[in-house]
Amino acid sequence: MNKPEFNDERPLIMHIDLNSCFATVEQQARPMLRGKPVGIANRRTDKTALITASYEAKKMGVKVGMKVRDAKVLCPDLVVIESDPSKYRYVYHCLLDIMKDYSAHVTMKSIDEGVIDFHDTTADIQGRDLVDIGMEIKQRLKDEIGVWMRCNIGIATNRFLAKQAAGLHKPDGLDVMTPANIREVLGSLKLTDLTGIAHRNERRLNSVGIYTPLEFLDADPVVLQRIVFKGVVGRWWYDRLRGWEVDDLETDIKRVGRQYVLESFHLTHEEIGQRLHHLCESVGSRMRSQHKAARGIYVYVKTVEGGYWHASTMMQLPFSSDQTIHMLAHRLFDNAPDGLKEIGIHCYELQPIENPQISLFNDHIIQERQVTDAMDGINKKYGERTIHSADTLGTGLYVKQKIPFGGTRYL
Amino acid sequence: MNDETFLNEPVEVVAVFRAGHQPCRPLKFRRLNGREIAVQELGLRHPVNQGRKTVHIFDVTDGGADYRLEFDSERLTWRLTMEADHYE
Repeated sequence: MNKPEFNDERPLIMHIDLNSCFATVEQQARPMLRGKPVGIANRRTDKTALITASYEAKKMGVKVGMKVRDAKVLCPDLVVIESDPSKYRYVYHCLLDIMKDYSAHVTMKSIDEGVIDFHDTTADIQGRDLVDIGMEIKQRLKDEIGVWMRCNIGIATNRFLAKQAAGLHKPDGLDVMTPANIREVLGSLKLTDLTGIAHRNERRLNSVGIYTPLEFLDADPVVLQRIVFKGVVGRWWYDRLRGWEVDDLETDIKRVGRQYVLESFHLTHEEIGQRLHHLCESVGSRMRSQHKAARGIYVYVKTVEGGYWHASTMMQLPFSSDQTIHMLAHRLFDNAPDGLKEIGIHCYELQPIENPQISLFNDHIIQERQVTDAMDGINKKYGERTIHSADTLGTGLYVKQKIPFGGTRYL
Repeated sequence: MNDETFLNEPVEVVAVFRAGHQPCRPLKFRRLNGREIAVQELGLRHPVNQGRKTVHIFDVTDGGADYRLEFDSERLTWRLTMEADHYE
């Protein structure tokens, strides 16, 4: 049986988004900041980029990603605060707990947004109006975290439309998208307002005469599939715009990495090496927390003059210990140029950690695994970096844990 | 401007413990210099693990400045660790 053009089932997907999350949390924690333009940066220096701006700052033209000094030109009263990950992690867990009260099927998309799927929840909850539940969640955020907390909520038949709906009336909006109002809603948006349509996809759509979301909605699926997106992605867009679910997929972790902008551009090669060592330990710990080992390692640096250098290597056997990651990274880093401002490493070609076969020749692999497991156990019990190499004794002062964007694996 | 002063000052705190979403609420605290500060609002309370022990961080205001109080749940001690004012 052919499915109908639009998904006309009852909307049971709710997207919840704590907009300007970190700034809102800071305004909640520090009442004197409320109503003032606030920017959050990972370091309070003029060259650092803002990772969040409050609504008051956004009204003055401040945008996320803008350098602090540029933002202060637009908004001289901007209060810049250094990010405080533990605070945001706490609010994330509070939000997650609230969401889980309504369904077992909750997916957090990042530290500040998540989706509740009401399809398989209890009959009591399904019997309620989802708009009422949305209002209740808004109130619970205020009661359980604080009065300044606000969120945007969107309700639709799929994740894409629910997220679009959540973005319609910021801040503190609650909107439902259905086949009855989809044309009206899409008619008020630009192509780049759609999640997943940035400038490259916009150019692709423009090339076949699609300039608005409504034209995108009315486009022929064959044109989308064969000409615009050159593959099944075109069909997914056709279905997505009609409320059919195509985004409920779990993505597998492809690589684990960390980068660090040096606190001073006058560090010696040895001091930079210590910071790289710190990154290696951090990447190793994250990778093992996901029960993964890597076969590839990639090291890159950015220079003060704007240059980019990178090197990578692939191993025959997977590795996951801090010592091996550091040994490989250090070997690559030895060829890096001078005058650095940023360093970073990634481990890739990930695979599940397997128990090594016991043999006469790989005792050292087993011993290394046992030592690493023991260290991880101690660090888990007594706190991060309780045990680490002597080489990185002083680096924790500079290389701090920051907000993990784009995923919630390490929260 | 954001004037944050980071401190590590032991303080005496009067707090209430009760049921509800905010089970512990500092009401006032006295600093080493004898100045007494009445808490007008508890902004946020969040826990932080320091090794095996949990420290509860209370961001509070007296209506003129924001303060951060840290309660060590193992030693049952309070410290004032941050004061922020002069936002204008």
